[in-house]
Amino acid sequence: MATCSECKGFFPLEDDPTTGDCVKRVVDPRQAYYQAKPVEADQDASTCASFQKK
Amino acid sequence: MTTGAEKEKGLKELEEKQQWWWVAEKARSKRLDYLRKAVWKKGCQGGMYAPGIKIDLTFPQLFTEAWKENEGEPLMLKKARAFAHVFDKTPIFITDQAQLVGCVGSTPHELVWTWQSTGMINEEIYNEQGIIPEPEEESLKILADLNDYWAGKTALEQLASAVDPEDAVKYMSGAISAGTPSSAATYATKDYHYIFRGFEAILDDIDQRIEETEEKLQGNPSPDLLPLYEKLPRWEAMQTILEAGIRYANRYARLARIVAENFESDPKRKEELLHIAEVCERVPAEAPRNLQESLQFDHFVQVISRYETWEVAMPHRPDYFHGPYYDRDVNIEKRLTKEEALELVGEHMIRTYEIGIFQPRYGREGLQGIIGTWVWTMGGVKTDGSDACNDLTKAYMQAARLVRVCNPTFSFRYHPNVPDDVMRECFECIRHGLGYPNIRNDSVLIPNAMHWHGHPLEEARQWVNQACMSPCPPTKYGCQPNRMASAVNTAKMIEYTLHNGYDHVVNMQMGPKTGDPCEFKDFEEFFQTWVKQMEWQTNLIVRFHNVGRAKDPELFSRPILSVLYERAVETGTDAVDPENGERGNSWVTAFNWCENIDSLAAVKKLIYDEKKYTMAQLVEALRANWEGYEEMRLDFVKNAPKWGNDDDYVDEIMLRCLRESARHSKEIKCTSGNNVPFLPENMTANIYWANIVGALPSGRRQGDALYDGGISPGPGLDKKGPTAVLKSCAKIDHISDGRAFLLNQRLSPTQLAGEKGYQLWKAYMKTWADLGMDHVQFNMVDDATLKAAQRDPEQFQEVIVRVAGYSAHFVDISRKTQDNIIQRTVQGLG
Repeated sequence: MATCSECKGFFPLEDDPTTGDCVKRVVDPRQAYYQAKPVEADQDASTCASFQKK
Repeated sequence: MTTGAEKEKGLKELEEKQQWWWVAEKARSKRLDYLRKAVWKKGCQGGMYAPGIKIDLTFPQLFTEAWKENEGEPLMLKKARAFAHVFDKTPIFITDQAQLVGCVGSTPHELVWTWQSTGMINEEIYNEQGIIPEPEEESLKILADLNDYWAGKTALEQLASAVDPEDAVKYMSGAISAGTPSSAATYATKDYHYIFRGFEAILDDIDQRIEETEEKLQGNPSPDLLPLYEKLPRWEAMQTILEAGIRYANRYARLARIVAENFESDPKRKEELLHIAEVCERVPAEAPRNLQESLQFDHFVQVISRYETWEVAMPHRPDYFHGPYYDRDVNIEKRLTKEEALELVGEHMIRTYEIGIFQPRYGREGLQGIIGTWVWTMGGVKTDGSDACNDLTKAYMQAARLVRVCNPTFSFRYHPNVPDDVMRECFECIRHGLGYPNIRNDSVLIPNAMHWHGHPLEEARQWVNQACMSPCPPTKYGCQPNRMASAVNTAKMIEYTLHNGYDHVVNMQMGPKTGDPCEFKDFEEFFQTWVKQMEWQTNLIVRFHNVGRAKDPELFSRPILSVLYERAVETGTDAVDPENGERGNSWVTAFNWCENIDSLAAVKKLIYDEKKYTMAQLVEALRANWEGYEEMRLDFVKNAPKWGNDDDYVDEIMLRCLRESARHSKEIKCTSGNNVPFLPENMTANIYWANIVGALPSGRRQGDALYDGGISPGPGLDKKGPTAVLKSCAKIDHISDGRAFLLNQRLSPTQLAGEKGYQLWKAYMKTWADLGMDHVQFNMVDDATLKAAQRDPEQFQEVIVRVAGYSAHFVDISRKTQDNIIQRTVQGLG
């Protein structure tokens, strides 16, 4: 099972690497932006459309 | 490739055609152009949200999750922990090219939903087409679960059981009032002097209070010590919020660094992102040191406050508070060029415009096209009475013309020593068709604040618009944490006078049975009946609000606002606690006021003075909504005197009505024991209530738009020119007859072109100020443009008009409101 920690977009917190941010670039019809969403390192990423293996 | 000269020529041509929206697009920097176009419009278009706009479901889910985990804790602490969980976990984003960050909602196209107001309104959300996130079925299930959980727990549902049931039914009928008597949907002045010291300094204050209190509790037991136990969890709640607020900003810092170090290839943007990181590591934890930090600090405060509640207004004075940083950066240390500072200021407006909060239908109808009346106050005087205008005042005006947004808008505090270059900037905004700034008169409003609410002179001089119009000092004891604008549909006063207190539209006995008007012997008896209906309606709404306000700490609570109030931190109380020293700044928003005046004048003249018709005939015609009585109706329209024409017959009636209301304003008291004066204005209440107000003696039929509000004459009924309008309005004492008086004026863009136009307008403003008026606002877009925008809205998306108390993009307001604006008399000056 792929987990968030294996993804290029996962950035662990320095003081607690078991959690971190899923950072991704989003381009919507009006603007482009970077989004950060808090995730757990061992969270299941097998169905995540943004998953990119490190 | 366009050369500079070609661009200049193109701009000039557009200016000559007065196509200011295209001028803005060409004149602004590439960054501002990108950021302005990047915003998802959150205000409604004709009552509907734009395609792509969605509700943010993350916020209510995160909040509810933490709320449930903290069941059993005191309300304020429970709420603070729930918000902390949201600030730690909600997704955040940074838009390309942005220098300021922070948004309410986890993506740029989301609205936050403030579900804690009333369950009844929450049910509306199921019927809103298009705003439910995909997959819709899953989202509807989440919404249903949330609604089920919160049903009965929302502020207004709880309040309804605390008030007189008859009052509640009448209030909720929608006929006589609007708004919520709860800080769940409200607006609050903020104690900016206190806040800008930084959250860590506020945490230090709290630590000291806790230490002192714990020491006292270890002393000799006494009943006096018992209330202290309740303060401790409140301070803990405040600490929780402040620490979460700092972490929230640090999350942006972290994201900016991650993007700079891992994604961004453009060295200039990389540098900007690293700077954003530094800024967000600094503020709001510590006091700002420069313009970017100051604006960012401010924006974080506005964002977190809007998670807490549906803040319908944004009382603020940004040129005053940020001005010193602009001066230091641009003029003294020259860290920023004027152009760079202008980009930051423009972006400050854009970031504010980006904030979206879901509005229930009544909100969308009352505030067509916008999220709230986010009126920023500019100019004015300092605490010593000297001119407070600065370079940032001008920069905001310039930025407004470049970004052309309707949230925020500006209100300019005029005084006799405003520099000419600042007046010119204000005029340019009006000439560019923004409809703002509206102009307020410090010479009137400062003594007015002292007269009605006893604010000391130095504090009164700091006033900001609490919402559209009501001045409130953003000071320790001047700040008002809750709306307390008891919004009254005053057209019902004359309606109930004519129908013995019965409302034939909602079919219930609303007002007191004041007698059959056919039995009244003279106009005096008729007028005294109007006074009784006025007192009854005002009393009901104010007492309802008073209960709401008194119960607010227990039914809603505002831990976030509490950390922004020195008096709440100092006393360990909730900011909405009416007993923590608030001086009181309440008022009655008198919607649809002038209908009373023209109707009373018509009754006096045609029924009592000339005896042309009997009261029975009039009542019959009104019950028939004038159908079958067209000739008689036209008589009431054309042959009865109308307010705004310098006609003492009707102007005296205006004064009598205002003075009776002012007398009563001093008899009724808000929760702080202070006065509740009248403030005639309208937003779009004239359209909102068009179908709810029955036919009136002014000749208006049920369903017709009401007048556009405040003391503005009826559209097209001010036939004697702008001087006559001013003369009528100047008969009112703008200090003691009420809190403030909205006046809409429509001017000709052709007449006011060029330098001559500015001089004409400036002379008009001097007359207005010398006559002692407190407010005026202008529309300066011609009929041809507005009618073209009605025919081809796609081509005129950026045309802005002044509605009443706020501006909106013309294409976003209803056809009825559009027509009402076109119908307003275009006044020729000079």
